[in-house]
Amino acid sequence: MVRTVAVQLNTLLDLYRDMWTIRAFEQGLEREFQKGNVPGMLHTGLGQEATQAALAAHLQKTDAFFPDHCCHGINALAQERHKGNGRAIMAELFGRATGVCSGKGGSLHSADPEVGNFGDNAVEGSYMATVLGVALAFRMRGQPRVACCVIGDGTVGRGEFHESLNMAKIWELPVLYACVNNGYAISTPVAEAHATGDIVELVEGYRIPNEQVDGNDFELAYQAVERAVGSIRAGRGPYFLEFKTWRWQGMFSGEFRPAEEIRYWKEEHEPIKLARTHLLETGEVDDEELTRIEDEEKAKIEDWIGLALASPMPDPAKATQDVYVGWGVEGR
Amino acid sequence: MTTTEAPPRTKTMVAALNEALDLAMAEHPEMFLIGEDIGVMGGDFGVTRNLFKKYGAERVRDTPLSEAAIIGTCVGAAMVGMRPVAEIMFADFLGECFDQIVNNAAKMHYMFDGQFKASIVIRTAAGGGFGGGPHHSQSVEGWFLNVPGLVIVAPATPADAKGLLIASIENDNPVLFLEHKALYSMKGEVPEGYYRTPLREAAVRRPGGDVTIVATMRMVPEALAAADALASDEIDCEVIDLRTIRPYDTEAILASVTKTGRAVVAIEAPKTGGLAAELSATIGEECFRQLKAPVERVAGVDAPIPFSLVLEKYVLPGRDEVAAGVRKVLAGGT
Repeated sequence: MVRTVAVQLNTLLDLYRDMWTIRAFEQGLEREFQKGNVPGMLHTGLGQEATQAALAAHLQKTDAFFPDHCCHGINALAQERHKGNGRAIMAELFGRATGVCSGKGGSLHSADPEVGNFGDNAVEGSYMATVLGVALAFRMRGQPRVACCVIGDGTVGRGEFHESLNMAKIWELPVLYACVNNGYAISTPVAEAHATGDIVELVEGYRIPNEQVDGNDFELAYQAVERAVGSIRAGRGPYFLEFKTWRWQGMFSGEFRPAEEIRYWKEEHEPIKLARTHLLETGEVDDEELTRIEDEEKAKIEDWIGLALASPMPDPAKATQDVYVGWGVEGR
Repeated sequence: MTTTEAPPRTKTMVAALNEALDLAMAEHPEMFLIGEDIGVMGGDFGVTRNLFKKYGAERVRDTPLSEAAIIGTCVGAAMVGMRPVAEIMFADFLGECFDQIVNNAAKMHYMFDGQFKASIVIRTAAGGGFGGGPHHSQSVEGWFLNVPGLVIVAPATPADAKGLLIASIENDNPVLFLEHKALYSMKGEVPEGYYRTPLREAAVRRPGGDVTIVATMRMVPEALAAADALASDEIDCEVIDLRTIRPYDTEAILASVTKTGRAVVAIEAPKTGGLAAELSATIGEECFRQLKAPVERVAGVDAPIPFSLVLEKYVLPGRDEVAAGVRKVLAGGT
């Protein structure tokens, strides 16, 4: 874990703001989910804000980004940054007509290619195969673009993980693998599910440049993504980043993790708290400014939730549209 | 009139498919081929022969044994406007990339609200009859029938193989293109040049008035042979080649059955839950009043396909089973 030349203060403040966008988005969403306003399932990215903000900071709208289940925040940031409508991600999760996929995709299938969001595939890890095709097309066309997929530690068990790494390497494709190792696949500890709990050890065998990063340190995460994206854009093939982090949510199953572990990740090594301390230590920002950023992001998210709740539901006729390109299907 | 017409060109289905790929590669710069041993070797059955030499390794792309990655690569490339054509060596191996086809390719356009197109073609060698055994002989259309968003195309003649493959490549939907191994060496007249055979249109291969036989792939020539044999007993069969299996040409089937009042569905796959059942249900639902006898399914026995040719012949339907089916609907009628 290398700390290189310090990142500029303005950039760190932007990251801090983005982390709060993610935090407020997920907390607001969780609240509305409990109220029954959000259908289906919910996997939040709470606790992983530093990693997500770092990825969002370096991906351009001309890149391709495949989010995982916990990436609502990155999706919203991309939407807000490139089209000024982060609210359309919120509306999608509420199943509304104003969502990025008109309510057809929801939490696990929100996409907008105009901001580089190529959508999640709810069969965890399947997009590890898809990302190869996007990267191959970029390379065939000579475009210095990055095709990125965010995966969890659980995804390592999928056959596609191995097929993807192998093919990305033999063809030297511009793929950024962002592995969010949060310690558990739902309830299964990473070290029990795989030959090693350190995913980069597996990646070594595929001879892909890789780094293990403290995913809760916003500055280190930012620098790591910068190195990876730079290497890929320079035509040096795939790059693998393993972010060590932890997720707050027990994911369906209630809490099962040891008290000491919870305390460490939610207090001692909590990403926003770490970022705040780091920023205050620079002596160039004060507590008031950071609190203002936090309040602004919280207010923005509440605004998005209000808009989602006030948005119309999709017209049922939408259900039979776009099954095929150019051909209709029979409705009821 | 002077006869300046070129003599009819006779080609095998393999050569017709090869010609279709060659012409389409020249026509569509965004197209590439991907699969196992399709490069220097030209594929297990020679369908991509010489294309590697002509178009190079970038556009005729050999892969490791990674079927999921092959289809995923196709879908991803299509998401940014490419037109990939994959070869899955044997249809039986589609299990290895089932998720990529069913959950990814077929739903891509729909679940993302029309923002992406999965304009891919998955060519694969299907069907039995040559002692390939349980994992190299299956007719898999039934595995995929229940998947909205997917197109399934299955030619029965060399001319159709060429025109349907070109039409499939040009189509913006994901197409599963089934090539029956028993038909690869079948010869037939194949028009020159770049042409499309329309998708979703069945073809009447033999007009007739007594019984409609709906068939696909190898069962089309088998049905025609049965119809010839039955003609000597003055039984007049109409043979319909479905050509596109999903979404299929309901209109052509119903028009024929309305005329004949009797229907046999001839499909190589196991009988339960497959295309034969689907077609039979639609005919029963839509033509109940015109039917003079129950619809007969002539299909594979509900067993895996065994290796020994004697056992395989028992499991797979042929012309004799089709003829028996026709006699049954004639005898069992009202």
